[in-house]
Amino acid sequence: MAINPMEQFAVTPLTSHPVLTIAGHAIYFTNQALWMFIVVGVITLFMAVAVSKRSIVPTRMQSMAEISYEFVANMIGGAAGEDGLLFFPFIFTLFLFVLFSNFLGLLPGSFTVTSQIAVTLALALFVILIVIVTGFIKHGIGFLKLFVPKAPIPLLVLLVPIEFISFLTRPISLSVRLFANMLAGHTLLKVFASFVIGLGSAGLLLKPLAVAPFFLIVAITALELLVAGLQAYVFAILTCIYLNEALHLHDHH
Amino acid sequence: MSPTEPEELRKLGDRLDAAEERVKPRNRQAPQSSAGIAFRFSTELVSALVVGGAFGWGIDWAADRWSPIHTRPVGLILFFVLGAAAGILNVVRAAREINAEMARNGAERGD
Repeated sequence: MAINPMEQFAVTPLTSHPVLTIAGHAIYFTNQALWMFIVVGVITLFMAVAVSKRSIVPTRMQSMAEISYEFVANMIGGAAGEDGLLFFPFIFTLFLFVLFSNFLGLLPGSFTVTSQIAVTLALALFVILIVIVTGFIKHGIGFLKLFVPKAPIPLLVLLVPIEFISFLTRPISLSVRLFANMLAGHTLLKVFASFVIGLGSAGLLLKPLAVAPFFLIVAITALELLVAGLQAYVFAILTCIYLNEALHLHDHH
Repeated sequence: MSPTEPEELRKLGDRLDAAEERVKPRNRQAPQSSAGIAFRFSTELVSALVVGGAFGWGIDWAADRWSPIHTRPVGLILFFVLGAAAGILNVVRAAREINAEMARNGAERGD
């Protein structure tokens, strides 16, 4: 039996007819869209159940919600300052969406929304758009000083393009990091899973060897849980760091 | 009964301290693993090269199309080099951020 480890990332339409048509492009309801709805649904359900009782002595669910709230609030306060808390709803939503996408993607048979570059790039471009808009609202045209480091004038000819490219890099590195981590981890899991099946259906002498990749899968799954949380954290904290620059320009040096 | 109670409390305190010691080192390692840092640096460097190259190529393409001056390999070469410089700048900044974060998380540690 041949197993394709990349098959899990295939985006397939779930409807036989396009849901809507935009400028000649047919838009289908795909498994990716379905899993995005599931992610949002699970988050909403989790939060709604967690805060339904609002007791002083929190239940398990309530303390999970409270811990994630405090975690994100502390992260923003530490990385972007007090006025960064204005963006709390945005960053909290972003963090939970990435976190739940990563975690739900680990369920067997599920689809990992964040393993698609289209999704992560859209999230990253949205973050950068908010950074740019915030910067121009806060500092007006002075926001362009972000590209002008403190240096002698002749050097600026070289440094301004470098700073500009460095800024353009952000959405790319932000999205590629999340997407590549998810893609690599899930491919690795499926490759080792195919080893178990391959060895298990091989000759009698090879059969016992199938235990080895099986235990590796267990270990890698644990590692993937760590990566899922870590990448959500990295995505959120980098958003905070970029917002901090837009809010305070060169203060952080 | 009174001599045993403070004794027991002290024992509990010692055990709590020991438990805290056991948790502490894990706490400061949690935010960033070594592999995570390595991956962060490599994406910063490579994406700057890609963005720089793409930007230069785009300028060449636009010049070919809309201007009388054909800049063809110059823009790509120039911006690829600038992209490399931006990549190194990104890595230095990322290292500074991670250092600051580690200093924040591990302020109370001994070494």
